[in-house]
Amino acid sequence: MKNAGSAVAGFFAAIGHFFGDFFTAIAKGDWAVKLTLLIWGAGYARRKQYVKAIVLTALEVGVICFSVFFASQYVPKFGTLGTVVMEQQLNMQTLKMEFNDYDHSFLILLFSLFSFVVWLIAAVVWIRSVTGAYRLQLDAEAGRHINTFKDDVHDYLGDKFYVTLLTLPIIGIVVFTVIPILLLIFVAFTNYDQQHMPPSALFTWVGFTNFKSLFSSGGMTVTFGYAFVRVLGWTLVWAFFATFTTYFGGILMSLLLNSKKTRAPRLWRTLLVITIAVPQFVSLLLVRNFFSNGGIVNTICARIGLTGWLRSMGLISTSYIPFLTAPGWAHVMIILINIWIGVPYQMLIATGILMNLPADQLESARVDGANKFQTFRYITMPYMLQVTAPTLVTDFVKNINNFNVIYLLTDGVYTTTNQLMANSQAKEVDLLVTWLFNLTQNYYNYKMAAVIGIMVFIVCAVFTLVAFNFLIRGDKEGVYQ
Amino acid sequence: MKDKKIGGIVSHNLLIAVLCVIWLIPIVWLVCMSFSAAPNMNTSTFFPTEWSAKYYVQLFHSDTVNQFKAWFMNTFKIAIFTCIICTCFTLMVAYATSFGKFKARKPLMNVAVMLNLFPGVLTMIAVYFTLRTFNLTNSHIGLILVYSASSGLGYLICKGFFDTVPRALCEAARLDGCNEARIFAQIVIPTSRPIIVYTIISSFLTPWMDFVFAKMILNAGISENYTVAVGLYKMLDKSLINSYFTIFCCGGILVSVPIAILFFIMQKFYVEGITAGAVKG
Repeated sequence: MKNAGSAVAGFFAAIGHFFGDFFTAIAKGDWAVKLTLLIWGAGYARRKQYVKAIVLTALEVGVICFSVFFASQYVPKFGTLGTVVMEQQLNMQTLKMEFNDYDHSFLILLFSLFSFVVWLIAAVVWIRSVTGAYRLQLDAEAGRHINTFKDDVHDYLGDKFYVTLLTLPIIGIVVFTVIPILLLIFVAFTNYDQQHMPPSALFTWVGFTNFKSLFSSGGMTVTFGYAFVRVLGWTLVWAFFATFTTYFGGILMSLLLNSKKTRAPRLWRTLLVITIAVPQFVSLLLVRNFFSNGGIVNTICARIGLTGWLRSMGLISTSYIPFLTAPGWAHVMIILINIWIGVPYQMLIATGILMNLPADQLESARVDGANKFQTFRYITMPYMLQVTAPTLVTDFVKNINNFNVIYLLTDGVYTTTNQLMANSQAKEVDLLVTWLFNLTQNYYNYKMAAVIGIMVFIVCAVFTLVAFNFLIRGDKEGVYQ
Repeated sequence: MKDKKIGGIVSHNLLIAVLCVIWLIPIVWLVCMSFSAAPNMNTSTFFPTEWSAKYYVQLFHSDTVNQFKAWFMNTFKIAIFTCIICTCFTLMVAYATSFGKFKARKPLMNVAVMLNLFPGVLTMIAVYFTLRTFNLTNSHIGLILVYSASSGLGYLICKGFFDTVPRALCEAARLDGCNEARIFAQIVIPTSRPIIVYTIISSFLTPWMDFVFAKMILNAGISENYTVAVGLYKMLDKSLINSYFTIFCCGGILVSVPIAILFFIMQKFYVEGITAGAVKG
């Protein structure tokens, strides 16, 4: 936690510094710096940086126009998310049915959020232009060189090249990741669902109601609490098994293939990798039909008498083996099929890492008379763990969110018989993410989906923080540079 | 003694062979099924009872359900644009975080780690709302934006590689009066060929491999606009599977072949990239 602590402290120190500079600039700046508070370009125009001055002032005009003509329609309604319901009225002049000037809750939420982000950025630019103008003043007073526009351009290809590089990607990330995440968090506190779908209906803030219904399990109709515990449990069990079976499977397989006894290792490796070179939507959809109730595997099992034997043991009650359609069976099959898909990947990675395994260590172990298992236990595994610990953590998080395997194998095939699960649109084999996906795609229950989304994030974040603090100590970046 | 050794080698290789057979059964089944003469799935025998290649021909004759040609071209178009934007963004962010010396570097990287914890599917729903507001759902532009806009977050593997580029080389260039932009373009890019090939191929493959986002964005649209993944998925709908299963297998194989080739080129770089990134933390 020490790392995180110092990072937070550093963050606040930087913010303090930022505002400190701003107030010094206002206090000690000349008239031009003070005018910059009103007209962003003023301080720069005084120091003859006209291009910069024009750009900044134009930006200011843009932000003002944005606020007056756009944001003002939405932000004032942010507190209520709209009050005017859509209605059709007869227009007496044209004698046609027309819609009234109704409020659209979702647009209010989205555009308010967008305005907040724009204003935040504008505030940062504003503060920076004031401090920048003050710095120019100091430079001028000390008689230092003041950048011309050409120098500035030069700077953005030189010392400040990182700004040029990062601008576009960061805009992309803000618009397509940050704003959606904020939107999601806000939706979790509203009653946005099928009964409250804009534009025909409004939705509004409901506080923590959705969170309460996720954690309360009582009654037969709203069973989110009941389903949540089960889905979360399976998600964690799945992530654990999916990560560790493929991880150790991959290491064992790569040891097997790289052994001196293996003939034509490249051929074998290529054959194994074919399974992952086929896109998952092809291979998984295929496997799902391979194991379907009336599928080929069931035919073979019935022919060799396996189905009958299982029936006599009382393990199944149907005339087929419900590989992907009964709880228990489906859970095991999903993990097994995931081994089929995941082991070749891990094998590739393990092969790459094991090639760098220090040969002298293996040699000295052999001289000391260690057997194969001891070498594996005391040399290969510790080395692998040390190198791959971060990937192991990210793999676990990836598996918590492993949408493809679960969705492609069970969507439309698996139907739950548990009424309590069905009431909240969940299935026994659902992960949190597939449940969330179904809630939005098929049931338009956005509020609960948003709450589940936040839960997924919390699970992943807690796990990552704990894992990184216990497993991986220190920052190794500098060592290798 | 010698017999025992040979026995060991034989059983060792036999074990590997058995594993490979297990791993390949579904793939072999896919190939066999695509050459079946019946349109539906054969559930009584592993190999089709009659062999024929006629469904490969039919794959290219579009009907109401099957628009494979259009799907293939759509995916190709989307993949090209995604590839260009993703590669640029990833390299730019990786260079800035690896070579840049600025105060916000560490905080930015921490924020990126945090943002990566929000699964793509999750933000996807909010992105979907937003795109729908701007009328970009059921359009390829929307899908390209979804694939590529946030690609800057996937910079870590690339950064791990850039960290290994000798700093002395850049210092020397700087002393010779090279600015950062030229160092980036003329020193770092040429020495990082493996990771660039890796980035290009992997971002090109994203639209081919992806299913979730394509389904979400294109689901309500018309069949002609689908990508291969969504189109093939729809073929296996309960009402269609009996007449389209063999065509699905043909389509699956035709998509898999180019992807598999690219994948084999990439896997070498993939391993290098992953291990480099892992070791360097």
